[in-house]
Amino acid sequence: MSNRTLPRLLQTPAVVLLLFWMLIPLSMTLYFSFIRYVLNSLRRPEWTKPSLSNWRGFGNYEFVLNNKDFLLAIQNSLLIVCSILFFTVIFGILIAVLINKSFPGQGIVRVLLISPFFVMPAVNAVLWINMILDPVLGLQGLAVNGLNEVIQALREAPLIGWFFSLWPELTPISFRATQTSAIAVIIMVTWQWTPFAVLIFMTSLQSEDQQQKEAAILDGAGAWSQFRFLTLPHLGRPIAIVVMIQAIFHLSLYAEIEIVSRGNGNKNLPYLIGEFANNNIGAASATGIFAVILANIVAFFLLRMIGKTLME
Amino acid sequence: MGRIVLENVTKSFGDAHVIPPLDLTIEDGEFTVFVGPSGCGKSTLLRLIAGLEETTSGRIVIDDADVTEVSPSKRGLAMVFQSYALYPHMTVRKNIAFPMRMAGVPESEQEERVMAAAKSLNLVDYLDRKPGQLSGGQRQRVAIGRAIVRDPTAFLFDEPLSNLDAALRVGMRLEISEMHERMKTTMIYVTHDQVEAMTMADKIVVLQAGVIEQVGTPLELYRTPRNKFVAGFIGSPKMNFITGEEAAHYGAETIGVRPEHIQVSADSGKWTGKVSVSEHLGSDTFFHIHDTGLADTITVRADGEVSFKHGDTIHLTPREDVVHKFDAAGLRIT
Repeated sequence: MSNRTLPRLLQTPAVVLLLFWMLIPLSMTLYFSFIRYVLNSLRRPEWTKPSLSNWRGFGNYEFVLNNKDFLLAIQNSLLIVCSILFFTVIFGILIAVLINKSFPGQGIVRVLLISPFFVMPAVNAVLWINMILDPVLGLQGLAVNGLNEVIQALREAPLIGWFFSLWPELTPISFRATQTSAIAVIIMVTWQWTPFAVLIFMTSLQSEDQQQKEAAILDGAGAWSQFRFLTLPHLGRPIAIVVMIQAIFHLSLYAEIEIVSRGNGNKNLPYLIGEFANNNIGAASATGIFAVILANIVAFFLLRMIGKTLME
Repeated sequence: MGRIVLENVTKSFGDAHVIPPLDLTIEDGEFTVFVGPSGCGKSTLLRLIAGLEETTSGRIVIDDADVTEVSPSKRGLAMVFQSYALYPHMTVRKNIAFPMRMAGVPESEQEERVMAAAKSLNLVDYLDRKPGQLSGGQRQRVAIGRAIVRDPTAFLFDEPLSNLDAALRVGMRLEISEMHERMKTTMIYVTHDQVEAMTMADKIVVLQAGVIEQVGTPLELYRTPRNKFVAGFIGSPKMNFITGEEAAHYGAETIGVRPEHIQVSADSGKWTGKVSVSEHLGSDTFFHIHDTGLADTITVRADGEVSFKHGDTIHLTPREDVVHKFDAAGLRIT
């Protein structure tokens, strides 16, 4: 036995277990995606059992590709994931840098900042869509009404009144509408996941070398230059980690989309799978395979990006 | 020019008064070493001069201009840190160019000065590497290069050699000394290592608990230490202190005799003791001697050829002209 065989032999159980863990669901999905398989059919009761005799070839894939919601779902998946990543990373960095200095009440502020992360996604969505974003009862509606009243009052004012009379009356935005429901989802998930980014960036900032900063101060670097040339490169790796973990989570967003608009005008791939899975398991499985492909494309780019930062 | 004057400078961190009122003048072109045990405030003093710490009171004057309230980058000083403090994401070239880039120096001139610095520090082959790929000595040279290109009025070194191994340390010590000879710029160098202080300094400032114990040239400090602290700190191995009856013979509370100022003999001498440990360095031999009735241990530095073993009886005779006498307050009696 060569000295490599034994370690490999010892690893085998773990590798085999993981392989099956991955392979069984994946191959079942693949299998279902090539057969006709529905949960309920009075007309064709033989389709309600998975069987090779119901073979449909690429029929399920064709059906999914021709579905009017499919392209929208892919676009929406990408839009939602990318927007959330963009905003959480930016807000995360800004907040982490802001609270990195020591100040009175630091502990409480940090706990409060982390707390959105502990809210359940469904609760988060209900709170946002009903209490904050609702055009009539939510904070948004109240704020818009308040602003309108202020503008109204200013129109009566002498001298400057003419300027404000040029302003249109503001109308609150309905975030349950087809065009805006994706934005609502982006807002609420960004709110929930920014703390995660803050947490990771904060720990990373604490490990930043203070002597480097002092050297930079002596070298004439201002606050912006220190941030740009020292802090930002230092945060490269944590940013890559935040982006990767969040991408995995947000590709499978479901609760928020369900609660905001029941998928009305705002479906992503998981939501589309869910809709198909109400009855048509074959189509749902085919969509699942598309989702796997999409996730792999995203992961490929992410891994390359992270690989680059790890190389440095 | 680079004349630095501290007037009545104090520094407190909350209730802890790290530096009581302190006055010090560092002349232009001088190589000044702050030396003292750890926690004596020497690094704090350097950081006050650099502007990285604010003075609690007092004035710092550089070339007749009061810089107490001036920001660190405007003081025209360059600092080399113990941890090198290189920017890990930048190449050596960009590290060295960083201060010029911040000052908005044109790129062609940046490149020229980087090359000049790299040549003088033997870094030309490493310009495109990142600090992580360099050895400790090379990193230290990059840090020095980054200081040189700023053409500062004074260099500040904060224990720059502590992270290097012994052989490199000796080499870098020489390089820094040569650099000073060549550039004739004011340099302030902080160390806890008295050998570095003795070998490099034009002027040594010995500090203890934020107080300046003595200022002088290395040999002044060695020959005429102002008090027991300086006498014990400067010189290696440490000076032997003898109290009691023997000191009273000299009309002092304590007398100090350096190990190299004691002659050893197998048969006769003023004092007698037993050899506990003998350390052979080749050129020299250090004897640690017990049972003299004078002090717990007497250390003697003898010629490398002299040989005594553990337990041998040894006779010691101090050179009377270089016996240091101290009074009850620990001050030198002349």
